[in-house]
Amino acid sequence: MTEHDTPIAPPCFPGLAEDLIFFYAGYFSQNIINAIGDAVRLRMEQSEASSSVRRKIFSTFIEMAQNIVHYSSDALTPPDQATLEMRAGSVMVTHDDGRFYILCANPVDAEFAEQLKPLLGPLRVMTTEQIKNAYRQTLRSSDGSDNSKGSGLGFLTIAKDSSAPLEYGFTPAAHGMLMFTLKATI
Amino acid sequence: MEKFYLAATNNTPEVDFDFPQRRLSLKGESYPESVAAFYGDILTKTNAFLDTLDQEKIDVSIQLLYFNSSSTKMLFSFFEMLYQAAEAGNAVRLDWYHDVDDETILEFGLELAEDFPAIEFHAHAVE
Repeated sequence: MTEHDTPIAPPCFPGLAEDLIFFYAGYFSQNIINAIGDAVRLRMEQSEASSSVRRKIFSTFIEMAQNIVHYSSDALTPPDQATLEMRAGSVMVTHDDGRFYILCANPVDAEFAEQLKPLLGPLRVMTTEQIKNAYRQTLRSSDGSDNSKGSGLGFLTIAKDSSAPLEYGFTPAAHGMLMFTLKATI
Repeated sequence: MEKFYLAATNNTPEVDFDFPQRRLSLKGESYPESVAAFYGDILTKTNAFLDTLDQEKIDVSIQLLYFNSSSTKMLFSFFEMLYQAAEAGNAVRLDWYHDVDDETILEFGLELAEDFPAIEFHAHAVE
């Protein structure tokens, strides 16, 4: 057995791992989202997923990636800069047994984690119909935040497309931050 | 009012608001980094335009393949403005194009039709 036959630990590399559709970790900006969004779309077009499923995956991917650009605590740009932001996180799309999973992770501070929990917690116990109603209500509420930061419409959009309750968590990370993870099932 | 035109980009739709002809069209995709930056001007101009109208006919064509959650909020504000113009006596027609198997965009259009009955709504499934 030569050293070439030695199985190597599979890297997170699309095309080598069958269940892995897409993985990106690092800094996210809108320009990077445009580019990797194209890659996600092309990758999905080559899968057997229906166009409806492909659209749900793309939508979930965009909502998650834009959350990272807006909210990750690991920022290369100043905190008060509202456009051309660049912040760190990761997004992964995997495929297993007829289902697609979209996962994202980014660090947040403890205060922001406390703002996210009341938005995410209720989504886990709501029925599909309740999620649709909450989405309709949030869309119609004029809470004055036209920039939609923190309105929860993004999470409701993800929950609406997810066929199983969203999973999320906060685990201790470096520099006193918490690593926020979110998982959707399509 | 003069025409207002913006070419499409990777994440913003083509905006073709021909105010003199009373024809407003959005076409493409919408997921800009900041919807406030992109839609602010569009909504301000639309509002100013609608204020000048009295008993007129306005044709609105929406052909969006994808819009993110924050764009959805902006689009809803846009249709609220059109609804008020319709309630005020103008005839507003909305042509809503959606991919034939895109139930999300069709559903959103149907909800608009329900919320804003004064707008004449036509859904078009595109193959």
